[in-house]
Amino acid sequence: MTERELIEQLKQGEETAFKTIVEQWKDMVYNTVLGIVQNETEAEDITQDVFIKVFENISSFKGESKFSTWLYKIATSKALDFLRSRKRKKRFGFMKSLFGNGHEEEPQLADFYHPGVKLDNKERSVVLFKAIGKLPENQKAAFTLHKLEGLSYQEISEVLNTTVSAVESLMSRAKVNLRKELEEFYNQNYK
Amino acid sequence: MSSNTTTMTNKEQIQQEIERTLLSLDETKRAEANPFLFTRIMARMQRQNGWEKITSFISRPAIALSALIVVMGVNALVIFNPGTRETSQTESIAVSGITDEYNMTFATISDYENTEENELYQK
Repeated sequence: MTERELIEQLKQGEETAFKTIVEQWKDMVYNTVLGIVQNETEAEDITQDVFIKVFENISSFKGESKFSTWLYKIATSKALDFLRSRKRKKRFGFMKSLFGNGHEEEPQLADFYHPGVKLDNKERSVVLFKAIGKLPENQKAAFTLHKLEGLSYQEISEVLNTTVSAVESLMSRAKVNLRKELEEFYNQNYK
Repeated sequence: MSSNTTTMTNKEQIQQEIERTLLSLDETKRAEANPFLFTRIMARMQRQNGWEKITSFISRPAIALSALIVVMGVNALVIFNPGTRETSQTESIAVSGITDEYNMTFATISDYENTEENELYQK
C-alpha cells in the first residue's frame, strides 16, 4: 500500500491504516522526541500524543509536504511544548521554595544515555546531551534533527518552517554554544 | 617553561576532547519505540473518548440546569421540611436523656470554679 493510499484510508477513519502508520513511523517519531526531551518515559508519552494528533488532524494534511515532514513537525513542536511546560513547573517550584519552608529541592535532570549511541561514545554523549539541553529551542531542534535523524538542512528548514540559510545559522550558533559549554565542562573536570 | 608546556598540552587535550564529544553522536542508531505502542495509543484514545462523552453529557445546558434544580430542591426540602425539625428535636431529647442517665455531662471551667468555691465554703 502506498503512502497516499494509507493517508486516504486514515482520513476515512480506518484503524488498520492507522496501525500501519504507527508501526511504520513510530521509531522515527520516538527517536526525534527522545533526542529533544532526553527522557525515555516522557518520550513515549509524547510519541503517543503525536500519533493521537495525527489521527485527529489527518484531514488537515493536504499532501503539500512529505508525510514524514508533517510528522517531524508535530513531533518537534510537541517535544518543545513539553520542555516549555517542564521549565514553567521548575520556575513554579523555585517560587514555591522561596515562599515555602525552604526544603523543596529543585529537581536535577539525570544523565541521559541514548540507547543507540555506540558503546565507546557513551560517556562523551552524556556530556554532549547535557550541553544540548542548555541550547535555545530552535538550535536544539535543528541540531537534534541533524545529528540523530540525519536530516539535511533543507529538510530541517521544512520541518521548522524556515529557510535553509536560517538553519545554517542555527546550526553554526548551536555548535559555537556547544563548544563554549563543553570547554567550561572540561576545564572543570579534565584531569 | 615546563609548566607552560603542560598548560599547552592540557589545552590541546581539552580541545581534542571537545571535538571528540561533538562527534560522539555520529553513527548513532535510531532508538526503538515500545513494540506495544499502538495498543497503548488505542487504549488512551478509548479512555479519552469515554471522558469526553461524560464531560460533554454533563456540560449540556439542559442536564446542568436540571441537576442544579434537583440539588436546590433537595436543599430546600431539608431546610423547610417540618418533619426534619421534629426529628432533630426528638434526637436531641434522646441524646440528653442518655447523657443524663450515664452522667456524661462535660464539666466547664465555671463548674471547676464553683467546685473550688464550694470546697472553701465547706472548710
